[in-house]
Amino acid sequence: MIRYALLRLLQGVGVLLVVATATFALLRFLPGGPFDREKALPPEILRNVEARYHLDEPLPLQYVRYLGGLAVGDLGPSYKYVGRDVAAILADALPTSAALGGLALALAAVAGVAVGLVAGVRRGSALDRAVMVMALVGISVPGFVLGAVLVLVVGLYLGWLPAALWEGPWYALLPAVTLAALPAAYIAQLTRSSVLEVVDRDFVRTARAKGVPEWRVQTQHVLRNALLAVVTYFGPLMAMLLTGSFVVEVIFAVPGMGRFFVTAVTNRDYPLVLGATLVYGGLIVISNLTVDLIYAWLDPRIRLAGEGR
Amino acid sequence: MSGRGASVAVLAALWAGVACGPRIDAPPPGVLRLNLGTEPPTLDWTLATDSVSITVIEQLMRGLTRLGTDLRPGPALAERWDLSPDGRTYTFHLRRDVRWTDGVPLDAEQFVYAWRRLLAPETAAEYAYFLFPVEGARELNAGELADPSRLGVRALDPHTLEVRLRKPLVYFPALVTFMVTFPARRDVIEAHGAAWTEPENIETLGPFALEEWRHEYRITLGANPSFYGGRPGLERIIGYMIQAESTALVLFEQRILDYVQLPVLEIPRYIGHPAYRRAPLLRGYYFGFNTDEPPFDDARVRRAFSMAIDRDQFPPLLMGGELPAGYWIPPGMPHHNPDIGLHFDVAGARRLLSEAGVDPALLPPIRVVYNTAETHKLVAEKLQQQWQDHLGVGVELENREWKVFLKELAVSPPPVYRLGWGADFADPDNFMNLFTSTSANNHTGWGNARYDALVERAAGVRDPAVRQRLYDEAQRILCEREVPIAPLFVSSRNAVVSPRIRGLELNPMDILFLEQVRAE
Repeated sequence: MIRYALLRLLQGVGVLLVVATATFALLRFLPGGPFDREKALPPEILRNVEARYHLDEPLPLQYVRYLGGLAVGDLGPSYKYVGRDVAAILADALPTSAALGGLALALAAVAGVAVGLVAGVRRGSALDRAVMVMALVGISVPGFVLGAVLVLVVGLYLGWLPAALWEGPWYALLPAVTLAALPAAYIAQLTRSSVLEVVDRDFVRTARAKGVPEWRVQTQHVLRNALLAVVTYFGPLMAMLLTGSFVVEVIFAVPGMGRFFVTAVTNRDYPLVLGATLVYGGLIVISNLTVDLIYAWLDPRIRLAGEGR
Repeated sequence: MSGRGASVAVLAALWAGVACGPRIDAPPPGVLRLNLGTEPPTLDWTLATDSVSITVIEQLMRGLTRLGTDLRPGPALAERWDLSPDGRTYTFHLRRDVRWTDGVPLDAEQFVYAWRRLLAPETAAEYAYFLFPVEGARELNAGELADPSRLGVRALDPHTLEVRLRKPLVYFPALVTFMVTFPARRDVIEAHGAAWTEPENIETLGPFALEEWRHEYRITLGANPSFYGGRPGLERIIGYMIQAESTALVLFEQRILDYVQLPVLEIPRYIGHPAYRRAPLLRGYYFGFNTDEPPFDDARVRRAFSMAIDRDQFPPLLMGGELPAGYWIPPGMPHHNPDIGLHFDVAGARRLLSEAGVDPALLPPIRVVYNTAETHKLVAEKLQQQWQDHLGVGVELENREWKVFLKELAVSPPPVYRLGWGADFADPDNFMNLFTSTSANNHTGWGNARYDALVERAAGVRDPAVRQRLYDEAQRILCEREVPIAPLFVSSRNAVVSPRIRGLELNPMDILFLEQVRAE
């Protein structure tokens, strides 16, 4: 298992290298540079600025310089936030995103699985139909609409929760619900259909025939087997939620890193775009690995490559 | 823990949670809470370029001079200044009672250091060109002058700063209101490097001092009791970085914020409300023509297109208090002249087109390019409709992402493009210089020797009446005869201010003068 994990992490480094290279190239293909301004800079000043950030060097040299920095954990200086390093900017913002994303992930997992399980077990009932309609709404309503409605209704009109800002645990609730709505709905649908697949299988019937209590049948036998599909979805979901969402952060004024995926691109802040992308890529690698390990635990029949025969 | 014990604990926790849950506290006295919109990219005033950084730095620092509410430069760190008879040497006499937040007295050498730092090529300051009028500045910045002591600025003694200019410049006192000319502390910057602007390191000398900076979230300034102008009326300013204007407005309505800018769509709802404030800005909105290519290589065609615009239709469209403008120097700026500009005249426009031998029916569709934004789209569509209706020409609109748009302007300007310009300092030179033939901001391809000469001469003329005549003639060339641009309107700032805040007024430079403000 440890050997397998190490091997996968090593592959992950290769993946990140590809991600860094592709992002670097794509950014330079994008027309418009970091120092194109509404108030155009005189040529001599533009020369100074480009020299400061080595933008006057040939692209291959810039690329090598960047990789050299990466090797020692230096993500370079931000072009927009003068004098601040990308690593420091992301280190400031990631914990906030991760806290909010972690809460959203937990909400989505608990609500999605519970609702999906109930719907699947009570297939065809009014409850099933009601729950599935809600799930459809959750999938269809975009975050900027749900977020705005929550700000107005729960925050402003009812005054139950803070409409925005990031001053304490209460302030995380509305953005977390907004973030969690879509994945929760999706997980509910996934869980329901997986439950439907296993609920009539022989081992479930056997368990019931042995006199296993119904709640144990549902949690130990049905749910455990139904969860495989859900866990697969968790890998990318975890990376997405932990790195934050531009829309949710903007609507609720949360100081996370999701904003950089948009603003750094519009500012052409190359090092910040690359840094944010690499953090995201790294989280995907780690969460996919975690998912594979959870697989092996959920279903002992699954063998990880590299494990003993 | 037993099951009952656990449920009691959960209930207690829930109750406690509800009891100490969110409540909207009474606004703290003496504290102003406002929305900055975004993170200030830097508080290093030598390197800052944007309006959010300016807003914060204006509270922390002072320069040689400072704009008054009348937009004229008045004394600040310099209590007075003399100009040599040849108009090229300014001598600034500094106040003797100014101390930085750590007690260090103000010294003229701190200006010399700051200006050399601004101009040093390795600093790579984007606004270094503000000091290009100083002798040796451009050469120093271009790396052609190795010895910075040959820059035309020196400290005659700790309280006297002498500045030698390349040529006479009457607006120099207005120029040194701008933050990149503020003094700086060599010891602080060299001790902390790029991190010198963090609260634990920074030293300032303005009415407020930096207390806390939570990046991307909130910045807190506290009153500076040793400010030379006296302790300010506010104890504290808290600036949040809320990007969504609609969210900021919700927080204003909940009395969590005291000052926010209004989203365009919300302006009509607040007009007439006691909290509502509006001020026209020194910010012009215009369309430029590419004068290198037909049909806009003919001044008559450009005039015709400008005359075919009914500028009165834009304010009701945008609802933001825009002032229709055919002139370029905006109201509030010295030497503004409201009589300048082409008037809406469809018959005259059509006559000009036929004089130029242009048959609108045979003209290929005119391409108008703007950067993607809802307001610009509305304006461009109105323009399209007017040109189609009034001139009978076809108009194609294209929008571009901002940086793509800027690159296109620099490399191959479209036939017609949208842009705006906001004043950096309150002198007409800042507006008129834009369209001289050597300006990097002139994307029209147009150059006019007479215009260039007028603008250059006006920069050095002390007599206001003569200056007025020079700028009037230059504006008539720009807006009435040659028309490389069609100005449309002057933009306004729309905001709401909580009734508990006294003395906060908007002004055309969009600077918040907060040292006189009080919060009840």
